[in-house]
Amino acid sequence: MSAIGQPISRTDGSLKVTGRARYTGDIRVSGAVHAALVQSTIASGRIASIDTSAAEEAGVLGVFSYRNLPRMNPTPKPWSHLHPHGQGYLPLQDDKIHYAGQPIAMVVASKLDQAVQAATLIKVHYEVAQPVVFDADTTRAAIDPPQFLWPVASSVGDADKGIAAAAVKIAETYATPDRHHNQMEPHATTAMWDADGSLTLYDTTQHLYGARELIAMVLGIPVDKITIMCEFLGGGFGGKAYVWPHTLLAILAAKAVRRPVRLQLTRAQMYSMVGHQAATIQTIALGADNGGKLTGIRHESISPAPVFDNYIEYAALSSRSLWAASGGIATNHKIVHVNRNTPTAMRSPHEALGHFALESAMDELAYATGIDPIELRLVNDTATDPHSGRPFSTRAMRKCLIEGAARFGWESRSPTPRSMREGRHLISEGTAAEIYTHWRWPAKARVTINGDGSALVETGSHDLGTGTYTVMRQVAADTLGVAPEKVTVRLGDTRLPPSHASIGSATMANAGASVLLAAESARDKAIRLALTGRDAPFTRGQGADIRVAEGTLTLAHSNVSISYGDLLARNGLPNLVAEADYDPVPEHEGPKAIFSFSAVFAEVRVDPELGIVRLNRFVGAYDAGRIINPKTARSQAIGGIIWGVGQVLLEQSETDPTLGRFLNRNYSGYLVPTNADIPELDILFVGDFDEEASPLGAKGLGELTAVSVAPAIANAVFHATGKRIRRLPISLEKLM
Amino acid sequence: MINFQYARAVSVSEAVRLMAGTPGAKFIAGGTNLVDLMKMDVERPTALIDVSRLPLDTVEETPGGGLHIGALVRNSDLAYHPLVERRYPVLSSALLAGASQQLRNMASIGGNLLQRTRCAYFYDVATPCNKREAGSGCSALGGLNRMNAILGTSDNCIAVHPSDMCVALAALEAKVHVTGTRGERVIAFADFHRLPEAEPQRDNNLAADELVTGIELPQRGFETHYSYLKIRDRSSYAFALVSVAVCLELGGGRIREARLALGGVAHKPWRDAGAEAALSGQSANEATFMRAAALVLSKAKGFGHNTFKIDLARRAVVRALSQAAGGTPQSQSNKKIA
Repeated sequence: MSAIGQPISRTDGSLKVTGRARYTGDIRVSGAVHAALVQSTIASGRIASIDTSAAEEAGVLGVFSYRNLPRMNPTPKPWSHLHPHGQGYLPLQDDKIHYAGQPIAMVVASKLDQAVQAATLIKVHYEVAQPVVFDADTTRAAIDPPQFLWPVASSVGDADKGIAAAAVKIAETYATPDRHHNQMEPHATTAMWDADGSLTLYDTTQHLYGARELIAMVLGIPVDKITIMCEFLGGGFGGKAYVWPHTLLAILAAKAVRRPVRLQLTRAQMYSMVGHQAATIQTIALGADNGGKLTGIRHESISPAPVFDNYIEYAALSSRSLWAASGGIATNHKIVHVNRNTPTAMRSPHEALGHFALESAMDELAYATGIDPIELRLVNDTATDPHSGRPFSTRAMRKCLIEGAARFGWESRSPTPRSMREGRHLISEGTAAEIYTHWRWPAKARVTINGDGSALVETGSHDLGTGTYTVMRQVAADTLGVAPEKVTVRLGDTRLPPSHASIGSATMANAGASVLLAAESARDKAIRLALTGRDAPFTRGQGADIRVAEGTLTLAHSNVSISYGDLLARNGLPNLVAEADYDPVPEHEGPKAIFSFSAVFAEVRVDPELGIVRLNRFVGAYDAGRIINPKTARSQAIGGIIWGVGQVLLEQSETDPTLGRFLNRNYSGYLVPTNADIPELDILFVGDFDEEASPLGAKGLGELTAVSVAPAIANAVFHATGKRIRRLPISLEKLM
Repeated sequence: MINFQYARAVSVSEAVRLMAGTPGAKFIAGGTNLVDLMKMDVERPTALIDVSRLPLDTVEETPGGGLHIGALVRNSDLAYHPLVERRYPVLSSALLAGASQQLRNMASIGGNLLQRTRCAYFYDVATPCNKREAGSGCSALGGLNRMNAILGTSDNCIAVHPSDMCVALAALEAKVHVTGTRGERVIAFADFHRLPEAEPQRDNNLAADELVTGIELPQRGFETHYSYLKIRDRSSYAFALVSVAVCLELGGGRIREARLALGGVAHKPWRDAGAEAALSGQSANEATFMRAAALVLSKAKGFGHNTFKIDLARRAVVRALSQAAGGTPQSQSNKKIA
């Protein structure tokens, strides 16, 4: 039986639920000492004086500030996935204060409590400046940023002309708040230097090799002297994809005190020591004919960036490729420099913000034209990417909409707002569609077939909690023709064949492809041995005539077979090793436009007196290409939907307008959904094998599932109440 | 967090004596709030006096027909205690509306009374806060105050008391038993917590050396017509925007007696004698409930982000009264609010 396509449970599930999985912060290194940070209590200004004497007298190993921490090299520009610095402003290098919670001193001591206590003894005096925060006033000073991931602006056709001539027009402003990743696992680093100048790091990272490159550049260490390990990650969501100041600090501290140094962020520190999702203010204009056919889309977004970096939330990206518009599509992004740390990618960056605006506006258009929201989207479906002009590799949008609507029972919906009731409550239904970027990135892998018939997969990819160990096992098992239990997978170590960052929902399609190719290569080596090796069992035939199943090679139309173990023994080999170098052309250079798609459907219950919105049921229909493991894929979808419920109903990182600090820096103040908030979630996979996306046929899934939950629920809230909420989250006072 | 001394008391008298002799010390039982506050440097006790092993963990019927609850009874044990479930269901309901199962398993009843506000500024030592540092100012007044108080506020503080249990205890008119170096005393529940006035740093009227030893419930439990309704941003595990405890005695279609207490709106569980009097003797209908609710909120004051809570509290009072009068109390397991 094929392992691919089977709902296999996670191979590491038992390790995780019994506490045996070793997460970075759990790893105890002999002789390790501990670092504690002091953070700026102001958001703008400079350090007038810093008195570390009391801390130094507290029996600690080292106290560091800008006065004595060694200088670092500037981070490379422009930003790239190869050199993933979290932020360009480096810690403890000067006396400036650019954001609240900026690290300004570090104490290293033998015990954590010593370090923490000593950190409280450091006295800092500031010259305080009034911080700039992101609000209606400061957005007026928005500027055009330099390009970072994609072109900042786009224009196809003449969007404004298309809109001006339209029979029906929508023009609205939507806003999304700052959010934080809030992974359950805090960021942690343990840094160890050897006498020969080599550096070993246990680090919470989604990007082993990028982290290694960046650390090498900024700290001036040869790349080949750095080893980074991360066996398991307790959630990444993009927040662990880049190198943040604490990792650099731990490395320099370890060098200075000549001991391994462990530095783990506290929950509150995770609000300023690492990135977050920046707020957006988005304006959308749609024009359509009376049949709902779009004639123009203009989508613009403004987001905050720190005074020292130009990070862009590409919220308008979604509008470039989701729907066709006969007149044209124009998008643009601006940023405002404010006093905060650098934002970063957070599930699902760019798309989940832009879709809230675009797919809410599409719902407004549905009401303005009187066309059913599903029909409106079918009318504007397109087989060609409006942005690049390339045909889509696969686009099952129609299937998502139709099969999802059928599963949901959309046809029984009464379209009039406030028309469906149950007791005191208004019941309502909303929908939204989604498009998500697909990445093609290089990845390497090594597969070994052992003499006992077992196999080993090695690749420098990452397990974010999503099941990477499991799906890689399935891919190798199928390709090699062995039972999944026979395959061991090793990830999370820079000594393994290099892979790409586990971001952008790219791991299955790309790292998975490298495992597929390495396993094919190993299997083919075995086949060649069986044909031409010592005492070759197959005296006729070619490779194509040989099937491998249950660890045994069999020649077609014959009774002749041999197991991997016997084949290796016969040839006196301990094992067979094969490596693969998957090196695809980048998506944007390929002949086809590759994206994932979906349509999602939400039923909500609103208490109109108390303003309370609760999700009743949810259906998601996803085109993520071929699904390798329906169980881990479903788990991804569940996580994505819950992530979206948080975005639309609960999450916001609040900045005090005067002090310029994130205020709700814990799980008690920053609310995410609980079990009681989540009903049964119904997941459908409707995609087909996409050969352009990956040799495995898989497209990205994890982030896709979090993209359009917000507009689907916001659209349902409008259907329930007649109130269009254009500023997230939809907290109860907005509906009272 | 700073370093501190630790001592475990073996008797109430020793605990009180240790406290009197140790300036800056704090009692610790479940630690579910105090330890968090210490990690955040909000509380910086010189010493912790561990009272968690004192023999104060029983629930006993009193000669007067009421119940005495030891201060160290766990929140979850009290919520599921058969006598509480049967005779004081509003208390059980309020307990189960609070925190999470894990926290309720750790948290003591005495500690629940002494929870500190969750005002975000109180928790952030980089910001001015009169409750944390007297005289430093109140950041919430002109800041992010969505969770803050609308009743009984002062120019010095608009923090709210976070407890759910205490809202039910206020409605039930419990008494608090305390022991200090000068002996034992009993404090009426309404006199236990304070309004902020000029001294927001003081949450309650305990003397510095006094230890809460127990709670006494009077005989009347309002087991038929009650409800504890908690309005919060998510269905579980969140502090109240507004909560309402209602206890009614009905007869002949009229309200004979009404108890009404609100949480999430003030520095202490909020009772309003005028509103309760306005319910008494009236028909149990929507118009009566709306009049009472309007009275409760008549002196409410919003501070911008939290101004919606005035309307929300009014509507929550009406809903909770309807639930109680109808004999359909809010369920804490099925979170749907009917």
